[in-house]
Amino acid sequence: MKRRKIFAVTAVGAAAALMISACSSSSGSSSTGGTNNTTTGTVAFNAGITGVVNASSHKGGTLIYDDSSTPDSFDPGNTYYAWVLNFDRLFVMPLYTFKSCPGTCGEQLVPDLATDMGTVSSDGLTWTFHIQSGIKYEDGTVVTAKDVKYGIERTYDRSVAANGPTYYQALLTDPKYPGPYKDKSPTGLTAIDTPNATTLVMHLQAPFPDLPDVLAFPSSAPVPQAKDTGSNYQLHPVSTGPYMFKSYTLNKQLTLVPNPNWSAATDPNAKQLASQIIVNLNVNQADIDNRLLHGDIQVDAAGTGLAAAARAQVLANPTDKANSDNPVNGFARFIYINTKVAPLNNIHCREAIEYAANKVTMQTAWGGPIAGGQIGSTVMPPNIMGYKSFDYYNALSQPNGDMTNAKQQLQACGQPNGFSTSLAYRSDRPTEVAAVTALQASLQTAGIKVTLKGFPSGSYYTDFAGAPAYVHSHDLGLAAGGWGADWPDGFGFLDSLVAGNTIVATGNTNIAEENNPVVNNLFTQSSKVTGAARTAIWSQIDEQVMKDAVILPMVYQKVLLFRPTNLTNVYVQAYYGMYNYAVMGVSS
Amino acid sequence: MIYFIIRRLILTVFLLLLVSAITFAIFFLVPRLAGQTAYQLAAQYVGRNPTPDAIRAVEIKLGLNDPLYLQYGRFIKGIIFGVHYNNGPDVSYCPFPCFGYSFRNQEPVWPQLISDAPVTLSLAIGASVLWLIGGVSIGVLSALRRGSFFDRLSMGIALAGVSLPVFFTGLMALELFSYKWSLFPNVHYVGITSNPVQWARNLVLPWVTLAFLYAALYARLTRAGMLETMGEDYIRTARAKGLPERVVIVKHGLRAALTPIVTIFGLDLGLLLGGAILTESTFSFPGLGQFTILAIQNQDLPEIMGVVMIAAFFIVVANMIVDILYAVVDPRVRF
Amino acid sequence: MAVPIDVATGPGGPEPDAPLSIPGKAIEGRSLGQIAWLRLRRDKVAMGGGVVVLLLILTAIIGPHLVQNPNVFNSNLIDPTFLRPKGAFGGISLAHPLGVEPETGRDLLARIVVGAQYSLLIAFLATCLAVIIGTFFGVVAGYFGGWIDSLIARAMDVFLAFPLLVFALALAGVIPNSAFGLSGNSLRIAVLIFVIGFFNWPYMGRIIRGQTLSLREREFVDAARSLGARAPYILFRELLPNLVAPILVYATLLIPTNILFEAALDYLGVGLYVPTPSWGQMLASAVQNQFYSIDPEFMIIPGVTIFITVLAFNLFGDGLRDALDPKTR
Repeated sequence: MKRRKIFAVTAVGAAAALMISACSSSSGSSSTGGTNNTTTGTVAFNAGITGVVNASSHKGGTLIYDDSSTPDSFDPGNTYYAWVLNFDRLFVMPLYTFKSCPGTCGEQLVPDLATDMGTVSSDGLTWTFHIQSGIKYEDGTVVTAKDVKYGIERTYDRSVAANGPTYYQALLTDPKYPGPYKDKSPTGLTAIDTPNATTLVMHLQAPFPDLPDVLAFPSSAPVPQAKDTGSNYQLHPVSTGPYMFKSYTLNKQLTLVPNPNWSAATDPNAKQLASQIIVNLNVNQADIDNRLLHGDIQVDAAGTGLAAAARAQVLANPTDKANSDNPVNGFARFIYINTKVAPLNNIHCREAIEYAANKVTMQTAWGGPIAGGQIGSTVMPPNIMGYKSFDYYNALSQPNGDMTNAKQQLQACGQPNGFSTSLAYRSDRPTEVAAVTALQASLQTAGIKVTLKGFPSGSYYTDFAGAPAYVHSHDLGLAAGGWGADWPDGFGFLDSLVAGNTIVATGNTNIAEENNPVVNNLFTQSSKVTGAARTAIWSQIDEQVMKDAVILPMVYQKVLLFRPTNLTNVYVQAYYGMYNYAVMGVSS
Repeated sequence: MIYFIIRRLILTVFLLLLVSAITFAIFFLVPRLAGQTAYQLAAQYVGRNPTPDAIRAVEIKLGLNDPLYLQYGRFIKGIIFGVHYNNGPDVSYCPFPCFGYSFRNQEPVWPQLISDAPVTLSLAIGASVLWLIGGVSIGVLSALRRGSFFDRLSMGIALAGVSLPVFFTGLMALELFSYKWSLFPNVHYVGITSNPVQWARNLVLPWVTLAFLYAALYARLTRAGMLETMGEDYIRTARAKGLPERVVIVKHGLRAALTPIVTIFGLDLGLLLGGAILTESTFSFPGLGQFTILAIQNQDLPEIMGVVMIAAFFIVVANMIVDILYAVVDPRVRF
Repeated sequence: MAVPIDVATGPGGPEPDAPLSIPGKAIEGRSLGQIAWLRLRRDKVAMGGGVVVLLLILTAIIGPHLVQNPNVFNSNLIDPTFLRPKGAFGGISLAHPLGVEPETGRDLLARIVVGAQYSLLIAFLATCLAVIIGTFFGVVAGYFGGWIDSLIARAMDVFLAFPLLVFALALAGVIPNSAFGLSGNSLRIAVLIFVIGFFNWPYMGRIIRGQTLSLREREFVDAARSLGARAPYILFRELLPNLVAPILVYATLLIPTNILFEAALDYLGVGLYVPTPSWGQMLASAVQNQFYSIDPEFMIIPGVTIFITVLAFNLFGDGLRDALDPKTR
């Protein structure tokens, strides 16, 4: 073909120019890396979801991560990215963490720096926690309860640390505490007391059974006040985990080395194996995939899986396929259907959309059943505690769309020939673009004319889809959205999406503006009960929300992860939906 | 000549001020005209589910709710006199030239620019040397061997180079030479000080990619220019005088043909950052190009201002040099 | 596959036109335009390019009415695991002569044809804008010199000092969804035309200024001045005709550059709104989503289309230049 010949000629020209540097290839790497050190666990497709692959206690070697962008921050009190939450456990010990084991075992919350699951007073407002004694920082000083309190206090000054979760302000008493940089008093945050060096007492505004889940964020890791450098702390956080910072060039590279003052006995959920961990930032996704498949690096840090080309290669090659896993990653993709924008304020028009949408084309747009995900019929994905499967709009039985029912609902809402509305989406996310395009095409066949409006993802929630005033004035009846729970139970998943009291003027995530008293009551009830009764409430909320037709589920996202053969102790940790970064090592 | 240079230098300072003002207007003013409030802008620098207090705190910290002329004044003052930044427990200071602190990661912008600059400079200088030498020599040879196989072949390739997007060429180069044939496995940037051989080796593909596009242009232009001048009367005179052919070609023919080349080179320096943006993102090189894309995506205004000012500075200086060369090459041009 | 460019300049080119001697008719002189047309007609390669350009323009105008809807998803033609079209060569069949897109199954021929409309429209209008502004300022600056020249040259410097792509990116990204009475895609197109054309005018301006500077010192300008001609006459009757050649040449060189520029903007995510097809967007999608390795046709077909278009413009422009060059009379 014409094209190939030109490139052949170009190749000749380029080769001539290369005589200068014509040395033979350095690493001589072919497809899947070095020798296979399998001691336990068969190497097969999806073996990493249910068991540990390549279990090994081999120490040494350099473990390399590549990331296609940058973390929001490596300061443990200032991050909200899923992979960073996973990765932080290599250099900090939060109070609680998720158990390091494969399968549903990994959904369990267990004490990390803490000694037990904490005791709560009878009115539910006071929690007492104890931390292990004798835990040391990287410089040998001992961790005290005051350090844990300080670590939490410093997240209150939003002008310095703006990225992290905001649960402390919402849950603890003394929400107006301005942070330790502005408030120099010795008591500091009155919501937390430290009666002795290993005890913390926390006071809540209202009962909240999931408090230990909130303390699983790395913001509960101890920070020595004397070493706190504010917005520069991200350059070298003081380590309590198996590794510590050796060097960090912003936007480029992080190097970690083993922390000599960490003891494995105090931290069974992390391992200290590799003698060096390197994270390369801002690497092109195509490069990451190639380096991964060649064994030049071991992990794609973001955990969002291989892109299309590498996926096709891996799935077509049986050896490569056996070295990959396809887990559900806890993210659900859906469309918000706004209850305030006409004519969607009529429930039948909303139901028409639920019936008419072609779920298969949307799934294909997201990447098909392997890389896109499972077609959804509920708000919560299957890996959330309390998930129950139901299907009100025949999403599973008629995934190509149910036009009969759609037409009926259009009649019922007084728009027999369809109607027009606009759909907001993030224009810099190619898969989201493809998915909403598919939706537009399928709704068109029912006579529903959708105008697509793209916005940059940086300001999507703050200025556009998440600003109800903008939504109303621009007729944005539909909006693309996605959600991953902050912890794997229904509260973490549903509260910000459908609770009436979470609607705000900017940064709104209850974009459908669902404010149903039935749902709101169920949420209030959930803070009053525990155990199985509480878990049952989540599916009730889910069912009511689906009956209200305010969310059109698209997929429960799945990703295709590849594990090079020289990566050890590899398995998927259920909550993060990616490999457990706290325990991996490298062989050879 | 000296007078000319001094005049241009003074003009350069004014020019950069003008550029900074226009940049500021585009990135700060236009969103405001489009309805974005300071509150909404600040909300981009907080995490998921922020509280209104958090957003307001960021708004005040970054000075976003001040009137625009005040923010601009602060920015210019910061460049010259440095900026004091409250990072929490204490106050840090960044000296001249200080383009402020990144909105996103709250670290000073200038050191980030400095650490990225060598990558882009390596890419730009290497590629421009390659395309100048390659393009001009191929153009000259083609002109002299007009109609031969070499002429047709090289002009054909030149056309191909001009017709393909640089991100496409780069990707093809990567696919063939790095992924498939492993001539350049694992292309990533290596600093010249840490390992000069690896530095050159990893830069070959990006150099060739970037240079391929421009060399094609220059080859065509040189060829056209040479053909024109070689037909002039004074060439015949020079030959009749008995001068060796090489002298005729280079001293008389090429010199006259170089005028448009010099013009275009000056213009192309301005486009170089654009080419660098695309090339760097294709090869994952951590240079100013990539920095720019991220800064724009994050609407990180200090970073955007920093990179635009640096790029503008280099372009203006380069254009000044080109103007001087213009006068040297074409004796008919007077100031 | 080198395409020969038969440049008809210098010694050894085709013979100058011999006057036709038709018995009974007097010998007539020819105008510049007629001579140029005759010479152009003789240049086969350039005419080839011109024919292709005409065909493309024709396709862009009437093609969209003849092909199927470019936005219809045909998921049944896609293999869900690999997301590539079923069938060889990207799903080529009678119903889909150029195959279908991966992942969505949209007809490729339809998208290419409708894309021609957008890509050519934007490139043409942007080029016109750049040419008009650039020529005007270039000629004025080059001819009058002095402080006018300084001012305009400095203005050009300012524009040239802006990293072009950066500003195009920023501006295209920052313009809201509706302004100035337009909205959605029409606004986007207007913004793209404005950004590409407006930031390109110094490119033309500098070249024209340089050419004017050189021409200003030529003998015929002196002659005209000594005959009492004033500035407007010299500008329009003496300089401009001599500038037509470089204007045309660089304009034809600029059109394909603008097509590629628009492709780059698509690659960086600020091009036309989905699902509007444009060649740049298809190429960008093939590159960024890495469809090229699972369905090479999806990248090759838009790539070859862009390539042929650009080639045709370049060949035609070259031929035009040779035909119009007064020196090779």
